[in-house]
Amino acid sequence: MIDLSSTPILIIILLGTVGLSIPVLDAIKKEKGKKKNKLFSGITFGTLIVAILIIIFRVIGGEPLPSMSFGPDVLVDDMFGSFFAITLLIVSIMVSASSWNYMRGIVNPASYYSLILLSTIGMVLIAYSTDFVMLFIAWELMSIPTYALAAYAKRDPISNEAAIKYFMFGALSSAILVLAIGLVYGVTGTTNIGESILILANNNLQSQSNQLIGGFIPISYLAIGLFVAGFGFKMGLVPFHMWLPDTYEGAPTTIGALLAAGTKKAGFAAAIRVVVIGMFVLSPDWSIVLAILAIITMTVGNLAALLQKSVPRIMAYSSIAQAGYILIGLAVAPYAAMGLEGSLFHILNHAVMKSVAFIAIAAFAIGIAGYSLDRYVGLGKRMPITAIAFTISLLALAGVPPLNGFWSKLVIFESAIDSGSVISWGPYLAIAGLLNSALSLGYYMWIIRKMYLDESKDTSRIKEPKIILCVLLFGMIFMVGFGIWHAPLLEFASISVPTQFDQILPTLEASLK
Amino acid sequence: MVESTGFEGLAINAWLIWILPFVGGVLIPAIAKKTNQRITNYSAVGFALVSAIFAASLLITIPSGAEIHNQVSWISALNIKAGILADPLSIIMCNIVGWISFLIIVYSVGYMHGDRDIIRYWFWMLFFIGSMQLIVLSDNLLMVFFGWEGVGLASYALIGFWYSDRKKDYVGREGHYVLGIPMWASPTHAGIKAFLMTRAGDVMMLSGMFLIFMHAGTFGFKELLEDQTWANNMMQHNLLVPAAVLLFGGAIGKSAQFPLNEWLLEAMTGPTSVSALIHAATMVKAGVFLVARIGPLFFALAVFNVEQFFEVVAWVGAITAFLLATQAIVNPEIKKVLAYSTGSQIGYMMMALGIAGISTHFVDGYTAGFFHLMSHAMFKASLFMAAGGIIHVVASRFMNDMGGLRKKMNKTFIFMTLSALSLAGAPLITSGFWSKDAIFAALLESNSSSGIALFWIAVIVAIMTAFYTFRMVGMVFFGKKSTHIQQIENEIKLPADSSGTASNDPNNEYKSSENAEKTEKSSLTKEKEHVHEVSPVMWIPFATLAVATVIIGLAGFLFEDELHNIFGNYLETYFGIGLSDTGSSVVQNPHENNANTNEEMIGGINIMAVIASVTAFGIGSGLGIIFYITRTKDPEIISRFTFTRKIWQFLYDRWYLNALIYWGFVKIPLYTYNLIWKYFETYIAQGLNPAIQFTMSYLSKLVKFTQTGVTQTYLFAFVAGILVVLLLLFL
Repeated sequence: MIDLSSTPILIIILLGTVGLSIPVLDAIKKEKGKKKNKLFSGITFGTLIVAILIIIFRVIGGEPLPSMSFGPDVLVDDMFGSFFAITLLIVSIMVSASSWNYMRGIVNPASYYSLILLSTIGMVLIAYSTDFVMLFIAWELMSIPTYALAAYAKRDPISNEAAIKYFMFGALSSAILVLAIGLVYGVTGTTNIGESILILANNNLQSQSNQLIGGFIPISYLAIGLFVAGFGFKMGLVPFHMWLPDTYEGAPTTIGALLAAGTKKAGFAAAIRVVVIGMFVLSPDWSIVLAILAIITMTVGNLAALLQKSVPRIMAYSSIAQAGYILIGLAVAPYAAMGLEGSLFHILNHAVMKSVAFIAIAAFAIGIAGYSLDRYVGLGKRMPITAIAFTISLLALAGVPPLNGFWSKLVIFESAIDSGSVISWGPYLAIAGLLNSALSLGYYMWIIRKMYLDESKDTSRIKEPKIILCVLLFGMIFMVGFGIWHAPLLEFASISVPTQFDQILPTLEASLK
Repeated sequence: MVESTGFEGLAINAWLIWILPFVGGVLIPAIAKKTNQRITNYSAVGFALVSAIFAASLLITIPSGAEIHNQVSWISALNIKAGILADPLSIIMCNIVGWISFLIIVYSVGYMHGDRDIIRYWFWMLFFIGSMQLIVLSDNLLMVFFGWEGVGLASYALIGFWYSDRKKDYVGREGHYVLGIPMWASPTHAGIKAFLMTRAGDVMMLSGMFLIFMHAGTFGFKELLEDQTWANNMMQHNLLVPAAVLLFGGAIGKSAQFPLNEWLLEAMTGPTSVSALIHAATMVKAGVFLVARIGPLFFALAVFNVEQFFEVVAWVGAITAFLLATQAIVNPEIKKVLAYSTGSQIGYMMMALGIAGISTHFVDGYTAGFFHLMSHAMFKASLFMAAGGIIHVVASRFMNDMGGLRKKMNKTFIFMTLSALSLAGAPLITSGFWSKDAIFAALLESNSSSGIALFWIAVIVAIMTAFYTFRMVGMVFFGKKSTHIQQIENEIKLPADSSGTASNDPNNEYKSSENAEKTEKSSLTKEKEHVHEVSPVMWIPFATLAVATVIIGLAGFLFEDELHNIFGNYLETYFGIGLSDTGSSVVQNPHENNANTNEEMIGGINIMAVIASVTAFGIGSGLGIIFYITRTKDPEIISRFTFTRKIWQFLYDRWYLNALIYWGFVKIPLYTYNLIWKYFETYIAQGLNPAIQFTMSYLSKLVKFTQTGVTQTYLFAFVAGILVVLLLLFL
């Protein structure tokens, strides 16, 4: 049994209690809509802050956590989980705080915040889970509330369309995941991730001599492929990305932030623990699949974003492209020490950058009641602070030094070049990434140009929502501050992942005993 | 993550020394918005003061000779650490910088009183100080480079501070052309010129830095010293000396050494307090400090024979010292005379630091160079501040618009003369004498072939220095009042741009005194109201420094000895550079050592050097007194002979250097650029751009075409994707 006082359990208890008691509170309290929104936003914000403090305290204080481990239990309290938990909680905190302004006047605030909290539990648990069943449950716990959240603007047909598409693909990917888990269980007889990887690896080693066991190998191939597709749906990899622009655009913008910055990262957490480690242990040659996907993903994402008219849609495509950059790190992970480290670093950075971008879009939407790029003209003067935050986040996404996005991209590309000493295609990933970064400036700069350089007829100041400003300010400090001094984040990322891949099997064996 | 050696608690102070001015600079606009002008001024002074106090707090480590080394990881992707290194060298330097900057900031309160852009001024001044302290205290070349660029940026902003380019802020005589290049400049032009010329040095420095980084994998001074395999490596590729010289290139740019010396003169367009800061505490001293920082490092690699580097340093210094001293003799503008003299004095420091590396006693030249840096910082800051006061009062930067000011500006006269004596090297009572004497001694004792040649150059420069110093003092304070002053006293309003055009003909520098005679008698009544002493907030700072130079001068010998000890220990402990040439690591008493090895020396004083120094002062000051103070001889005589007039013209035209630089780096490139623009850019480049744009938007449309919005398509793509992935896996 796992320790009841371990961090994942504490998070479940804390967030679950609050998340479930918000609707109860809603029934008891007889206040009006706006006040309730503020109340629940405050409660959610406070709860999430407590949750993140628990994790930070666990990481800094007490005995040091193992970097990334697999145990016999369903959950494990390790650095890898903590890293993702902190990343995801930052996103949830930013989303819930900015909803104070953005979701003012919604019909049923209680369920909105309750669903955000429940979805957060799911995301955090994905990062911590070491068992396929646990992983799947967490996956569904994360996904199902977001289907409802995406459809939150009940009378808005676009929001409904977004939710329907999202739900259909969610259901499909869940089915694929169940199939993959079933295949693994069939071959190995266990649902524990670590154990099944170990068994498959041993089978793989024996398969050269034993024809019978060798027959299992194609099934494990199939399972890996299905995992890539299932997780790839959430990560937004091409060609599993088609739902993504429609959903990110149609869902309420704060929920867009939650999806783009939050659930997507949870997908990466699952993919790193299952696919990257599993793949490598079985046969590292497969990582070329991830490399090909990475190149296609970033190219398609950037090209598609180039001519869009709607800003949330541009951001949706940009997050597809960013998934491509992150995937580079995953693909070269077995060959370069910095690969996974860079990916994790970029995941954290991207979570903040994308949240800031979406939240700034939400603030603009409050101000000008529109999402179209043409309406952004002159916003640099009309909503100056929001505009500067948006600009910084766009520049950070493009990887302009000295912002944080530059450093994480640098580490990823550097690792891709380093991997050239082992595999010939490594450096090409870096080249593709660089070319794509240049291409991406095409639309990032376009937005900035619209906001600052183009003259608008209306130059009146628009009131900027206060809470959102605080959130954006935090984001700006994060992006600029960690751009100037990125060492702590990179160090945190590097202690969260295994750096020596040839040591994985022995440590796996040791941790399961 | 944080590694620290030495005094742990003090490390925080060392960090704060350079962080505080930056914080102050950022806060000043906010303070100015909430409060009034007075409080803004006081808070700027406060930030400078607190930073200086932190610098002083580090002084307690000097007796023990300990160093404070504190690092945090910074760019961990490249394993680069940020850190501060407060060893005796940087502690003394940061005190010089801190306290002189503080005095200049105090002075600015008076000097900049009522300027409408005062907030911008405070921001950049504090930024300037912070950047300089960053250079002084950082423990690696990369952070030095950041400070280096910060200093460059601040200098650009402050030299061009009066960006509206009023005629009275120009430097140079209007209408003075050399080879078709105008020799007068507006503040904005001067700012850009300073920025670009120092940039040339910075590029060299950057390439030197990265050459070293490529081989050593680190920028840290301590790390470079610890593991010297990189030097071996570079020596095999013949890269060590080039890298060192490239690094020195940065110092050439910042310290305005030949051939990048020309920006320093135009830099006089900034407020005089800025000139004081640039010349005394921050900008030009950064170059000398860099050489002092990396000099021992390279010398410690002496097995690899880096003498050429030190030769280059010494000769660049010597050439600059001579070049600029000759020009200072003929210049009519008070600030430009001081600027020339700065370049020339920095040349002395470079000579001393350079000769250290090729002599057997490294510490002698090293101490001499640094001692001269200290004394120069003090007297030059004082001179500039005094000159600023005079310009403030007289409303002209030309010395022939001054004259006879000693009665009306008594305090300015006394203290400026004291500092000027120090610059001229008046024997025994000024710090300038002792530090110059130390340089002479170091040059004489170097036992190297170039030592004697350098020594004679130094002596000649010393004569010229004394001469132009007395010329300046004489023209400003002695003689008769100029027409300009009389006009002020008569309350005759001059046309707005008269100061620029008042003396178009370069030769009339000598004629204006005649004019003065004619109109002098007409006005003796109202003068008190117009030509007056500057306010205490202005004269107290430069008086402090002037008195300090004299105090150090009176205790000069002991002071030098102490400095010698400190640096002897410093070099011995951290670089293993012994005081004796035998290479033994035993620290010897400098007294004993000097007495034993050099017969010419009595009690640590090199007689030959003292004689040379006193003689040079005597000749130079004698000539200065004859021509400009007692005025028994008319300086006009040189215009009577064609030969001397030609020399005069040649010097006044700045050896044609400035004009040649403009031709080579401005006119010709601009012409080439026009050709490229006309034939290449308009036809070829502009044809290519739309092609890229067209291709990309076509591809984008293609991708968009797949995004139909129809769910069936999406599902199809999804399933096809799975199949492709599986196919790839099985292959």
